[in-house]
Amino acid sequence: MSAIEALYIFDEHNNLILNHTYIGRPPPPSTLLPLYLQHASPRPSLIYLPTTNPPTLLYSMIQDNLLFFSPLSSDTEPLLVLEFLHRVADALEEFLGSPLLASKITANYDVVAQVIAEIADGGVPCQGEANALRDVVETGPGVLNNLLGKVGLPGGSAPGLQGGPSGRLHTPPLRPAETAQGSAVPWRRSNVRHTSNELYVDLVETLSVTLAPSGRPLSAFAYGSIAFTSKVSGVPDLLLSLSTGGKGGGMGNRGDQLRSVIERVVFHPCVRLNRWNSDGVLSFVPPDGRFALCGYEVDLLGPDAPLTAGKTAANNLNLPAMVEITTGLGSSGSDFEVRMTQPSSSSSRAGSAAAASLQSNLGSGSRPGSFRAGSGGGESKGSALENLTVRVPLPAGVRNISDMRPSKGEAHWNPADGSVEWKVPSKDFGPAGVVLRCTVQGPLSDADEAGGMLNGVTATTYDYTDDEPATYQSQHDSDSTAGGTNGAQDNSRTRAQKNRALMPTSTTLSFSIKGWLASGLKVESLLVDTKKSRGLGPEVKPYKGVKYLTVSRDGIEVRC
Amino acid sequence: MESISRISSLLETARDLTLEAARDAGPRKSTRPLPAQQIKKLLDSRTEREVLDGLRRVIAMQYANPPQPTLTFFPAVLKTLSNPYPSTRPLVYNYLIHHAEADPDTALLSINTIQKSLSDSNPRVRAMALKTMAGIRVPVISQIVSLAIKKGVSDLSPIVRKAAALACVKCVRLDASTKPQVEEYIATLLTDKQYYVAGAAVQAFMEVCPDRLDLVHPAYRKLCRMIADMDEWGQLALLRLMTVYARRCFPRRTKTVKRAQTREAKAKDFYEDLEPGAEESEAEYDEIEQIEPDLALFLKAVQPLLQSRNSAVIVSVARAYLYLSPTNYLHHAVGPLIALLRSPQDIQQVALCNIVQVCLCNPQHFVPYYRHFLIHSTEASQIWRLKLEVLTLIFPFCGKDVQHLILAELEHFSHGHNVDLVRESVRAIGRCAQSSDAATSRRCLSLLLKQIHSPDQHLVGEAMEVVRHLIQRSPDEHRKTVVRLAKNLDSLTSPTARASIVWLVGEFAGYEPDDNIAADVLRILVRGYADEDDQVRAQIVLLAAKVYLHYLNAKNGKQKAIDALDGPDDGEKRDKEVMSPTEDDDEGFREDAFGHSGPIQQAEQQLEEQQHAIELLYQHTMLLARYTPSYDLRDRARLFRALLSVPSSTELASLLLLAPKPVPQAPSPSESRKNFALGSASLVVGAEAGISGVKGYEPIPDWVLEGREPDAKLRDDGDGKAEYVPASQRAAVSAGQMLDEALQADPGYKSNGGVKKEKTLDDWLDEEEEETSSKDSEERSGDEEGDRETEEESEYETDSEEDEKAGLVR
Repeated sequence: MSAIEALYIFDEHNNLILNHTYIGRPPPPSTLLPLYLQHASPRPSLIYLPTTNPPTLLYSMIQDNLLFFSPLSSDTEPLLVLEFLHRVADALEEFLGSPLLASKITANYDVVAQVIAEIADGGVPCQGEANALRDVVETGPGVLNNLLGKVGLPGGSAPGLQGGPSGRLHTPPLRPAETAQGSAVPWRRSNVRHTSNELYVDLVETLSVTLAPSGRPLSAFAYGSIAFTSKVSGVPDLLLSLSTGGKGGGMGNRGDQLRSVIERVVFHPCVRLNRWNSDGVLSFVPPDGRFALCGYEVDLLGPDAPLTAGKTAANNLNLPAMVEITTGLGSSGSDFEVRMTQPSSSSSRAGSAAAASLQSNLGSGSRPGSFRAGSGGGESKGSALENLTVRVPLPAGVRNISDMRPSKGEAHWNPADGSVEWKVPSKDFGPAGVVLRCTVQGPLSDADEAGGMLNGVTATTYDYTDDEPATYQSQHDSDSTAGGTNGAQDNSRTRAQKNRALMPTSTTLSFSIKGWLASGLKVESLLVDTKKSRGLGPEVKPYKGVKYLTVSRDGIEVRC
Repeated sequence: MESISRISSLLETARDLTLEAARDAGPRKSTRPLPAQQIKKLLDSRTEREVLDGLRRVIAMQYANPPQPTLTFFPAVLKTLSNPYPSTRPLVYNYLIHHAEADPDTALLSINTIQKSLSDSNPRVRAMALKTMAGIRVPVISQIVSLAIKKGVSDLSPIVRKAAALACVKCVRLDASTKPQVEEYIATLLTDKQYYVAGAAVQAFMEVCPDRLDLVHPAYRKLCRMIADMDEWGQLALLRLMTVYARRCFPRRTKTVKRAQTREAKAKDFYEDLEPGAEESEAEYDEIEQIEPDLALFLKAVQPLLQSRNSAVIVSVARAYLYLSPTNYLHHAVGPLIALLRSPQDIQQVALCNIVQVCLCNPQHFVPYYRHFLIHSTEASQIWRLKLEVLTLIFPFCGKDVQHLILAELEHFSHGHNVDLVRESVRAIGRCAQSSDAATSRRCLSLLLKQIHSPDQHLVGEAMEVVRHLIQRSPDEHRKTVVRLAKNLDSLTSPTARASIVWLVGEFAGYEPDDNIAADVLRILVRGYADEDDQVRAQIVLLAAKVYLHYLNAKNGKQKAIDALDGPDDGEKRDKEVMSPTEDDDEGFREDAFGHSGPIQQAEQQLEEQQHAIELLYQHTMLLARYTPSYDLRDRARLFRALLSVPSSTELASLLLLAPKPVPQAPSPSESRKNFALGSASLVVGAEAGISGVKGYEPIPDWVLEGREPDAKLRDDGDGKAEYVPASQRAAVSAGQMLDEALQADPGYKSNGGVKKEKTLDDWLDEEEEETSSKDSEERSGDEEGDRETEEESEYETDSEEDEKAGLVR
């Protein structure tokens, strides 16, 4: 049994905004919500509720602050249901525009109802492609125009991007009558017509880097996605070539090079796998509008990085910013210091890489200037570092941060999730680096003295003779030295030790850079195969744009 | 793959602002509720725009929270069906499906109009009509729906055929008695040339009659070839179907062949090939699975699906590989499974459950990906738990430096602030120690022992538990460790840790009676008895009982020896030497902790004549226990007293107290759900779902026994057709039974089948080539047909309309 039984959507205040039952009599949303909220956040995506009638498997997903529920009474492949929920969100976004807002759903129940009914027929998921739904969902005269016009946001599902107002707004709403025969390509709606033909490639990479206290990278991955926006009439056949920017050299032909750099690739069904496997190029007939073409990951350490490499390896990552944390400072060891620096090599390299990519874009288009480097706001400079944020999670015992001294930027202590957040404007972030120093305050000190006495081992002459591995954590164990101390010295020692329990164990760095990719990947060319394409005159030269973005969302983690 | 909306959210830097702005600006459509009268008026209007507006309002009311009554509009809404506007139809259908159950009589009024649409010239209109008709939940019309499906099955447009396939599911839900007819339709649709029709047919098959595997035989090879082109949902259903099908229809055959050799050996063989008579030992042979060509066809065909963007498809392929051919194919699926770790958190969690499941069977495959399982401090607990588990599972298979890294990683997290994470990582270190060789195990142990000095009570308690388990696993190696642990009793505060140590000392009280610390430890502990936690007290009482018992045993043994020798030796004196080794071992304990040891020894000396020190200690402990508030402890003390009341008979007490303890095993947490099939919800839910899993859980069937499988010939395209019997006549006959019948009916068949089985691989390949070439030509003609189809459409329509009229007349 793989039928979806119902779909509930809640807004950010957990008010029900959509309740659609496909089959059966699933438990109502009012029963499920409290049971779901019982679990601590972040909540598991599959919760088994044996107390409801019938016993229910509750699948949930959060997208754009909206909470999607799907209750099921029998064992189904969990990923099927979760993927379905994601597809519903994507489809709604295709029709209602991004971001998906509760008010958009409540204002367009007629469209939403059709989308939901089409995407699963009687609970059996049957149409996963948002674009193809355009052929069957009746938006009626002027629904979208009305909506988009009033929202005041630029075009359909690509807001704030290069699309601008020239995108979907000009496409006439389709009537099912026109599309009677159905599209030859299952993922593309039929009879696509655009007044201006445009193609945009967005390469987005998300960083996930872990650094040991010594500064040695333990793992470094860039998770990449290629978002593609196609606004081309007819049925275009496209060929997208990527290049590695010199990495993976000596690996035979270009396809092999590429495959050695970007690993574990997944594709939208439109991509011809044969061409990828043989030539390393992406050949496809795109859906109309915006879609995720491909996902990949890059191991920034390389496949066989030595485990013993020192700090230099971290510099090889070419990250635009690096963070270090030192704990146990000050007389009583209650201070910690976070230092954010610009690795010497990276700033120049990142800049040059971006410049190089800009160059190649300009050169490789069919017309000069047909590629536009899509850094935000049409800035011409290479890479722009934005949203620099450092987060230091602190243990629950920390009562307050009595003193925060950032050399630049703004820091604040958030007691709710127990972390210090430090935002640095990118203009203040120079090669000299910036520093934040904080003093923590532990729990109120009534119980402290007693706590100090009870506080486990004071000093022992523990001498276990087995060979001890040389751990990478050099400072560990530093204070378990022997010796009977007393008086004030002892007091400060216990205090320092107590404060050690209040020190953070890691810190994370977030930022985003436009015009630069951690993997060094580049779009080499994007060609429209005029022979295979249909409905597109040979004189039509679509406007092409490419954009690179690297994001770290708490993705760089430094331990201490 | 990340969904497009998630990528978009990354691209929009000022996303939150946009959200705010959009909320303020808001799409303010004129959704002011109108009175019902006015809406009815809109619905009755003649202009398309007004009717549409009315319908939209009705739909909005229907979905509004709280829902508003919309049933009153039923007749008015149905009336709009007679309008010629195509734009209103989907909304009316939507309304109809939603309300039909509440007012079946009114709903029936619409059937006629919908039936007319079934023969519309536009295939989309036909498909929509079919879909709607099947969706009306009024059981009376089940026969009409069945007829409509029958007509849809033979429709020229694949869109309609797909709708027909999906309508099958709804038809059976509506009225189970239509199942035999519907099965027939599905059988036809399964062999459809158009891949998305076949995909939908498989979905319907899985919903309606997943046990009728006999329907699949003729379509098997075609479906395998089409799977790469189907949509994701069709692929999922087919993967599920084929995994079951393969288990039921392809017996597992294994062949013993020479074990794969190392390269050098191969090279050597290459040159020495000409010299016969090289001795071959039994060990060089290995069992490898033999894969039937038909099964190989499926396994190969699904390989491209590993690059699907749909995580469910990837896990399904992994499931097929894991249960059908773990040795030959599973490694292909490992990389794509790892790729799922970059999906959104909700998918990541489920994917990790599945990875752990594969990892339990085949940890080696995951070793190169150890970096992916390093934990981030920002991760949710469901995720790091599973990641820790994978790390411990692959630990024994890693190289030295990776093991080192994993241990350092675990150590780091054992110092964290998150209590759960600390506990889990200490346990993980214990599991690592358990599963690896002696040297690594020692390293883990020393790592854990270091934790004992931590000020964190949770950490100390948990570490001590794990250390205790490790020591119990190989007691002989760890005598010294126990002594060292005992020294820590001076300073440790964690009750769990103290209790663990005391218990360990008690367990080791029997070793080396000449040089044992147990009695001395007891002596020191008894002094602080009043200040101990209850669980430590319980262990102290137990320790006292054990020490006393050992003392008695030794004494009795000696007495016996003396009796045997008949010698008038002074046993007491020797006893004293044996049983008080405290003086030698005393340096281990800090003097300041028990400055009164002198007087005790004095007292010992004084009492020596009457009672031995251990007897006194024991009695003192029992006395202390007697006045303990905990009744459980008092009970235990009474038990021990009764057990040890007669010093000369200690057999029963020995049985009870000195029984060899089973070695504790700390299995991987997911071991408990190992039996659930990969990719099922029961696997994710785990133990909560009970032993048989969540309702509706179906385990992967066992391999069919050799000789019981349906004949391979059934899968030949031609033969399958020839044997087709109307479904109604063989309602619940399994494929195997059918085969048996066939065998009985045709005696010549048997030998034929035997020959078939002995076909060589080459024969199969030849046959396959023929097939594929014929398939190619078929496809080409199919394409042409598709092109022609559209041209012929109008021609055909008139025919079908006539049919339809005939049907209506009937």
